Amino acid sequence: MPRSNRWSKALTRTILKNGRIICPAENLDIVGDVIIEKDKIAYVGEKQVGNDKTNSIIDCDGLIVMPGAIDMRVQSADPGREHLESLSDLLAAAGNAGITQVISLPATSPVVDSAVMIDSLKLRASSYSGALFHLYGAMTQALDNKHMAELGMMAKAGAVGFANSLKSVEDTLLMRRIMTYAKMLNKPVIHHCSDPYLSNETDMNESETATRLGLIGAPALAETIILERDLNLVALTGCRYHAAHISTASSVAALRRAKNQGLQVTADTSPAYFLLNDKAVGDYNTAFRLDPPLRDEKDRLAIIEAIEDGTIDVIASDHHPIEMDKKMLPFGQASAGASSVETLLPLAFSLHHTSNISLSRIINALSVAPAEAISLPIPKLAIGEQANITIINLSSSDVIRGANFMSQCQITPFEHYLIDSKVVGCFVNGISVMK
Amino acid sequence: MLNIFFENSTRTRVSFELAAKRLGASLLNISISGSSVKKGETLIDTATTLNAMRPDILVVRHHSSGAPLLLSQHVDAAVINAGDGRHEHPTQALLDALTIKRTLGRIAGLKIAICGDINNSRVARSNMYLLSALGADVRFVSPSTLVSPFFSDIGIPVFTDMEQGIAGCEIVMMLRLQTERMEGREAPSQREYFQLFGLDSYKLQKAAPDALIMHPGPMNRGVEIDSKIADDNNKSLIRTQVELGVATRMACLEAIAGVKL
Repeated sequence: MPRSNRWSKALTRTILKNGRIICPAENLDIVGDVIIEKDKIAYVGEKQVGNDKTNSIIDCDGLIVMPGAIDMRVQSADPGREHLESLSDLLAAAGNAGITQVISLPATSPVVDSAVMIDSLKLRASSYSGALFHLYGAMTQALDNKHMAELGMMAKAGAVGFANSLKSVEDTLLMRRIMTYAKMLNKPVIHHCSDPYLSNETDMNESETATRLGLIGAPALAETIILERDLNLVALTGCRYHAAHISTASSVAALRRAKNQGLQVTADTSPAYFLLNDKAVGDYNTAFRLDPPLRDEKDRLAIIEAIEDGTIDVIASDHHPIEMDKKMLPFGQASAGASSVETLLPLAFSLHHTSNISLSRIINALSVAPAEAISLPIPKLAIGEQANITIINLSSSDVIRGANFMSQCQITPFEHYLIDSKVVGCFVNGISVMK
Repeated sequence: MLNIFFENSTRTRVSFELAAKRLGASLLNISISGSSVKKGETLIDTATTLNAMRPDILVVRHHSSGAPLLLSQHVDAAVINAGDGRHEHPTQALLDALTIKRTLGRIAGLKIAICGDINNSRVARSNMYLLSALGADVRFVSPSTLVSPFFSDIGIPVFTDMEQGIAGCEIVMMLRLQTERMEGREAPSQREYFQLFGLDSYKLQKAAPDALIMHPGPMNRGVEIDSKIADDNNKSLIRTQVELGVATRMACLEAIAGVKL
């Protein structure tokens, strides 16, 4: 790999000393040492190791050492809106935030709907430091939701799956064909679910808050109606399907039924949907304009329960940078989205402090589960594995400030939000990528 | 004082203009078609520009809910909301309350039906807050497609039967319904709407014996209200509303400007 040759010359042997090592894939939760040699893990165990020929010793006493976090839902602004966030900025920001691999959505300009786009972006990414980069190909040409894109050629070029933008494929027949074709290619389909008739031209979740504010609401069912349709198509086609950023209790119920039926279905959510509800929109603050919109409190609680029991497999950031001038508008005219790759881990680990969800489950949702959903190698802390490792301090109070983001886009619905954990280390193929 | 109307309005703009002139304020109406808003300037940039001209009061009408609040966060001048999207139209509610108080001598204890397109009405929302706060028994009457079920959660009874809804009401306030909403979207046709939800003398018999009619204007005669009722000076308060509109806005301007005027 050109990437590791390029960056790993300087470092050969690093010891992560005395950390709490949690590896869900190996069912491991011990206190001990990890040795990184070049780009691989050379040792994991409770035995204290010597410091011979070691370039760097990192004291991990009281820290969590976990397999490298994967953020499976990131929208790169590059190409097309590089001024907002270039690909190299995105990968550096992700690495600095403890994320070792990101998977980018296809809604760039031009759209990632061909093998050449995938080749070119992967080539560019290979020369940048920070997180490793993967891509979804667009399900349809130019994301038009009408014509199937060249899924086979994109799969050959390395697309890890096929996704849409923030508009669902409305045509059921086309969706069936995409699923059937993706099944042939053995790639998952990652779908953002929202019924266009119920959700177009809406401002937020349909609720008492929307009614008071005079904003147009989309019912939570707008998500579930398309999800239910898709789940029926999964049963018909046998396609591997991943439901993107699930936000409602009714969708959780639908997913639970599908999983009980044995369908090959996975799902993710992002921190906004388990930490915030639609009351946050109360003073028309456009940082809270997201897609899907923030939902009811009962939805929020259902999402937490679904993460706990594994109905929702993955926690992803849903990073979607937006220009400031698209946010400095009345709520109804503002664009949906926020900068969130840098807050993913601290917000996900806040579940450790505020819910019954185990550390191992949270770590799984941030590493093993996304890898399984899109068939990346399962991240493990074990001898011979690639040294992709994230180190977290779970007792470090801080306040989220957009102004401190590395990303050019500093809009976050979590401005001034208190967090109890902090990313303190991140290794990608054996290289420390924290600034 | 600047009158900034991002959305067309005749009566509210003129009403504020007259109020300002009677109080001796110097007033400028900002014409939207010629403004830089059409050239893609954001509302906040517009606000910053206007702020640099040091106005004391901005009167803002905007088609987006929450726009005057956003503007007020970026200017030093006092901002008066002259109607924002579907959200609120506070001076209209104040003038409605004044009209009722002047005519009937009280507001507390009155049964007031607000009828029509509730979902898209800022007048309905402002009156819901104000008239309820002043002790009136406010209810909404509307086809179920034009009234969110969440109004019941807020505490306003919702009726989808006009005769039941206005039964015993001392005030029947009719709201305007945009014609395109009655052409198969929220309601099947104008004539069906008038038959079920238009105010005519037959339905009005269900209200209290001396019930009075209000309408924030502009009216769709023969659609939401029968012309005969609208023009009946013994029943209709519509002209009084317009007249007291100027007085209400003078009061608002003076209260906000304080010693400045």
